[in-house]
Order: sequence, then C-alpha cells, then structure tokens
Amino acid sequence: MIVCVAVVGHQNNPLYLQSFTAADDALKLHHIIHCSLDVVDERVNNPKKSGPTLNETFLGMLYPTENYKVYGYLTNTKVKFLMVTTDLEVKDADVRSFFRKFHAAFVDAVSNPFHVPGKKITSKIFAERISGIVKSFGSVTAG
Amino acid sequence: MIGVGKIKQYSNVLDKPLSRGRQEVSLSAFAFLFSELVQYSQTQVDNIAELERRLEDAGYAVGARVLELLCHREKGNRRETRLLGILSFVHSTVWKVLFGKVADSLEKGTEHEDEYMISEKELLVNRFISIPKDMGAFNCGAFVAGIVRGVLDGAGFPAVVTAHFVPMEGQQRPRTTILIKFAEEVLRRESRLGG
Repeated sequence: MIVCVAVVGHQNNPLYLQSFTAADDALKLHHIIHCSLDVVDERVNNPKKSGPTLNETFLGMLYPTENYKVYGYLTNTKVKFLMVTTDLEVKDADVRSFFRKFHAAFVDAVSNPFHVPGKKITSKIFAERISGIVKSFGSVTAG
Repeated sequence: MIGVGKIKQYSNVLDKPLSRGRQEVSLSAFAFLFSELVQYSQTQVDNIAELERRLEDAGYAVGARVLELLCHREKGNRRETRLLGILSFVHSTVWKVLFGKVADSLEKGTEHEDEYMISEKELLVNRFISIPKDMGAFNCGAFVAGIVRGVLDGAGFPAVVTAHFVPMEGQQRPRTTILIKFAEEVLRRESRLGG
C-alpha cells in the first residue's frame, strides 16, 4: 500500500506532494520524505563505487523506518521521485515499473507549455494519473 | 494473410485498426510556425540582440522538455555525467529526434579548453529563411542554440550557446555552427571526475 508519493526538483524544492491515507499523519509522511532527500544526496554525491552506479536512475530502497519503506528514483534533470510504502514485501520489478509509469506521467505534465519549470505541478490530469498508478500498484502486489 | 498488392477492405470505417500515427511533423507546417514566431518576435523588440535572445528563450523551453522526454524514452537508464557523454547525446540523439538525422560534425575548439562546436551544412530551421543585409550577423539558428542550452542546462552542464555563420570556400551558402562554451564549474567537475 503506497501511502505517499513526492516529486522534488533539482534544488530540493517540492514540485508535487500527495498522500493517499485518510489518517492525519500526512505531516509525518512529509517529514519522512524530507529526510530521505538527504539519503538521495548522499547516494548521488558519494557513490559506493564509481562507474555504472554513478549513472543509474533507479536508486532503490533508501531506508526503512518503523513501518515504512522509502524508494527513490532520479531522472536525468536531477528531479527526484520518492515513494513511501507500508508493504513488507515489495518486489523490485514492481517498484521499477511503478517509477516508469510515474516518469511517463511526469514527462507529460512537464511538456505542458504553461508549466513553469521549478514551480509546483498543478495539472489535475497529472493528479488523476498518479492516483490511477498508485491504485494499480496496490492490486499487483496484493496476494 | 494479406497478399502483395491486395488491400483488405473494411466495410465499416470503425473496424479499421487504430494506426500509431505518423511520427513526423510536416516541414512546411513547422516552417510556417517558425516564420510566424520570428515575425512576432520582431514586432516586440527594438534591436537584433533582443530578437536573438527571444528566439533563444523560446528554444530553451523546448530544450528542457526534450531532455525530459528523451531520458524517459531511452531505455538505457543512464544519466550523463561526463562532458563527452552529454555532447554526443546532444549531437546524435537530440538531433535525430528533432531533425531526423544526426548533426554533421562535433568538434572541440582549438583556442579555448571549454569550447565545442556542432556544425551543420544547413540548419533545418533556416531552410526557408534568408537574412536581409541590414540585419548583419543575425542567425535564426539562435532557436536551435536555445534548444541546446536548454538540454545542457537541464542535465547539469551550464553553458553559453550561440549560433554563427561560417563561410566555406566552394559553397554558396555558409555553414552554420553552434558554439558551446561551458561554464567554469563544468570544467572543474570534469577534471575532478578524471576526464
């Protein structure tokens, strides 16, 4: 179950934040997103080994907290996608395909000529597509 | 099974399969649109430098979006961090998507360390444009220079990009060169990465 997704720009400015639980801990989720930005920066600037890992877009699991896991994805323009999930067992391939669809929706939103890069994404169609992708992610990993 | 020369007839137009659509835009449509863009910009500015800047800004917006789109379409999952990598990306992939072919040549400047040139015998955008004599050295390729600047900026390589006419002997029309001058920090980062 995905509880929160976020898009963060290349200067760590938030471009899109959406939480999918009815509970009031939306603020806590935002804090978790904020902390995982540090992990992303650390991975980008100090690679474990130089070479191919320097260029990967999918960053994998960033860190686990008490009942959440955070996954990250970095595009070529240093825009970061972050995803917080409560699933205990999440397959790597599922997360990758989730981020691919997310990236497709993001590219469509940015191609809007009225979108100013660096400002928040206000397109309703983008929000609907993201909700659709999140819902279909849940049904794939269930069972 | 469709035989050679036979076309399957559909009784109802709704039964025809949906085509993927042509992946190209007609050159004349783009030429009209571009000429309108240049004319519109001309009415808004007072001098040539402003006109060049407006075209470049228009190209910059295109470049930023093209970068996002191409990185998503490329299945390679690679992020370019090296100078030569991003230059060859611009030179082949971006050119292929925009103009249908790779650029004619990519050269390193001899005078300065941070200059590179992409040259083209005739830019597609300039095909139907001739510059009047009183406009001096203005080149509508400033639009393409803006696209390149947008791509480089988005990828993390700030640069100053300009378009120039370079006269060639033996050819009637001069060649167009896009001159890319990278910022200081790019060169420092490049030497740090061990280029």
